[in-house]
Amino acid sequence: MTTLTSLKADDLPALLAGADLFASGASRDDLDGMRYWLSALLTERDPIRLVTPDELAPNALCASVCFVGSITALAELPMTGDEPHRVLQALENRLGAKLDAVVALDVASLNALMPVAAAALHGLPLVDCDGMGRVFPLIYQTSYELAGLPLAPLAAVGPTGDTFVLDTTSSERAERVLRATLNHSGGWMLTAMYPTTAAQLATAAIPGSISRAVTVGRALIDATDTDDLTSRLQASTGSRVLGIGRVVELEQRTRRATSGYPAYPSSIVVRTHSDPVRSIRLEAQNELLLALVDGAVTAAVPDIICLLDPNDGRVTGVESVTVGSEVLVLAIPPAPVWRTPQGLAMVGPRSFGFELRHPNEELRP
Amino acid sequence: MNRSRIPEVLTVAELVHHGPLAKATLLAAVPLDAQVRFVRLISDLEQTRQCRPHTALVMHNPAAHGGWALESALRAAWERNAACVISPADTTVTPSTIALAERLKVPLFTVRTDPAEHALELAAAIASPGAGRAQLAARCATSISEQTSLRGIVGVINDELPGSAVALVGEDGAVLAGRAAAVGGQVSIAVPSVEGKPWARLVARVPVSSASAEETVTTILRLARASLAACAARPHLALARRGAQERLLLAALLSGQQDAETEIAAREHGWRFDQTTVAVVVRATARAAGVDPDVATAGMLASWFEVFGDQPLVPHGDGWATWWTSPDLTALQVQSILGSRLTKVTCALPLCAGVGEPATSPDGWRRSFREAGLAASVAAQSGAGAVEAFDALGPRVVLAVLSQRELLSAAETALHSLLSTADGDVLVQTLCAMLDCGGSTSQAATRLGVHRNTVSGRLERIRARGVEFDDPDYRLALHVAAFVLLGHRTAESPG
Repeated sequence: MTTLTSLKADDLPALLAGADLFASGASRDDLDGMRYWLSALLTERDPIRLVTPDELAPNALCASVCFVGSITALAELPMTGDEPHRVLQALENRLGAKLDAVVALDVASLNALMPVAAAALHGLPLVDCDGMGRVFPLIYQTSYELAGLPLAPLAAVGPTGDTFVLDTTSSERAERVLRATLNHSGGWMLTAMYPTTAAQLATAAIPGSISRAVTVGRALIDATDTDDLTSRLQASTGSRVLGIGRVVELEQRTRRATSGYPAYPSSIVVRTHSDPVRSIRLEAQNELLLALVDGAVTAAVPDIICLLDPNDGRVTGVESVTVGSEVLVLAIPPAPVWRTPQGLAMVGPRSFGFELRHPNEELRP
Repeated sequence: MNRSRIPEVLTVAELVHHGPLAKATLLAAVPLDAQVRFVRLISDLEQTRQCRPHTALVMHNPAAHGGWALESALRAAWERNAACVISPADTTVTPSTIALAERLKVPLFTVRTDPAEHALELAAAIASPGAGRAQLAARCATSISEQTSLRGIVGVINDELPGSAVALVGEDGAVLAGRAAAVGGQVSIAVPSVEGKPWARLVARVPVSSASAEETVTTILRLARASLAACAARPHLALARRGAQERLLLAALLSGQQDAETEIAAREHGWRFDQTTVAVVVRATARAAGVDPDVATAGMLASWFEVFGDQPLVPHGDGWATWWTSPDLTALQVQSILGSRLTKVTCALPLCAGVGEPATSPDGWRRSFREAGLAASVAAQSGAGAVEAFDALGPRVVLAVLSQRELLSAAETALHSLLSTADGDVLVQTLCAMLDCGGSTSQAATRLGVHRNTVSGRLERIRARGVEFDDPDYRLALHVAAFVLLGHRTAESPG
């Protein structure tokens, strides 16, 4: 994997394509407006410096930027353009100190772009790491949380012009309060949270996330066919193909919604073209969380389960799947931190309401 | 040590047939022959990974709130050789889940009752497999004893063995009762008649072929054998009894000394003589094997009623009597009815019939019966299916009542000189025709369809062989002899 040192406008298509894959089924195909805006921003400014935590001073102050809420609501109430700047200012005001770098909370879908915009508008470097290595639905499902870093203070700005600053010692409470605030703030908010030092990031963050997203995105864009794509992805991420087939069932609300999670559960059943035919059942709740092949748990959250169109190699979001869609089901291993008992306790299948163990837990004595 | 032939472990199929799973809905068409040794109530899917082989997995609601959970349980069941998966009815079960169950060959059921309660019922059933079978057998025995027909008995068995098809099949392969789908099934037991002779077989097709399921079905079929044989014999016994009663009644009526009680009994049988009555006597042909009419009566009556409906048939003399009653009835009409349908009466004997003259009074119908008997004697010489009317026979009927065997012997001796020649039959025919026509050679030639000179030539040859047909002392005897011989030859000729 190539480690990048800067991000230019030319890198954005690859960054967004890679970010779509790490969205684990929650990717969107209506982010062109954001991409054009950010592309113009990067074109008129110097390229953004991409640094590792080690390249920063150990006590350099960093904060994670994250978009929270509905992308559909963002389309209805678009950004004015100064929100990234305002949210970092609000956090700086609360901390009484200037930030030295911006970090991504996760590098998936829109959240790969927002830290870039914040770094560009605030004139700060972007740290090549994130707290998830994919996307999880809750803001505290991060490696920072596992490392014991406090989420608050948290700053948020929304489309109604409000600025919201929250102090709490409970990350879970921060999540709940933020979700409640979303309902009265136009459906989305741009947030800055997890104020940390570069030294803390060096041990708590998942390194190389931005570079990896760009590398994966280039593979998605440059691949000549499905075989080429899957071999490139396998080389860069260690992914494996669970099957290629046709969607034969699509159901909504097929199980009880897990308390505290946004969105409703849904199921996708894929009948493979292989011989013998396999049935791949995918359980989703925003993201794809579980893959059963003929009833056997083959991949489960925190694995990154994603769908690709086998004809053009594009990432397919759960929301755009219809019965009859041709899909390639891919599973990408998560960051090593998520395979630890603590990691699985936080984001393993049971935390999403699936009363079963992650396949890798089977290997434990 | 005395061991039961039935394995002491129930199969899924048996639990479906006569156990708690009878209340469940089977969603996947898979074999049900797996043994069920344990039951496990699954409230956490992890428990499916600890189940032992031959376990029925009963999914409790928390563990069954999605297709993923069921599919995961099905997979675990397959990997661990579990017997079946049972899910609450309110679980979403999609076609893909059913398809997976079928592919893995794991029976998948849904139940409307509380899963915990169902698990307890299953546990109780598998703890005492003999009790379930005995309960089924007892229930079947009670139900079978309440039935009075073959269809009723076989129907009860089919109801009590859901999924199985049972049929009673005759020795000729025809299905007497039950479902044709059972023919060729795994279970087959002989059902003898009440006399102990082979009569039919009870066959069953068990959806899931397993030794214990077949043993259970065999037990139920054995229970039904005696009732089936008794049911089958009942109509024959009833017919034989009815025949004996009616024979006495008809004899009383024909004696001319009937009392009021006899007439009441006749009316109770539906016999009417108040309109024009034409009597008929049905009997076996002269060449039929000697079968006692009493023995043949039950079979004869059963077949007669199939062809002629409620038309009475009463044992009478060497055969059976019947009669048609209707205003303006003629013997020809009755002869026509019999001519077209008598051959359809299938019994062990070749049948023929004689029809009497119409009568409108008690004396008249007694006469009609005598005439019918005489006509039947003539018909008996003609062969199977022959129907003779007394009216058409005329005085020839006198000859019919004579002992045919003795007459034939005498005739063959008297006309031996003619019969010993190559054209003996032609000469006897010519002699009979000439005597029938009162000695007129021209009329005899017309009757025989030959030239008069041919008749004259034949008569010369007859005279040359010493037969003096012109002598008045011999003429009647010769005429009778020729008549008897011709009748015998006609009856013997093919077709």
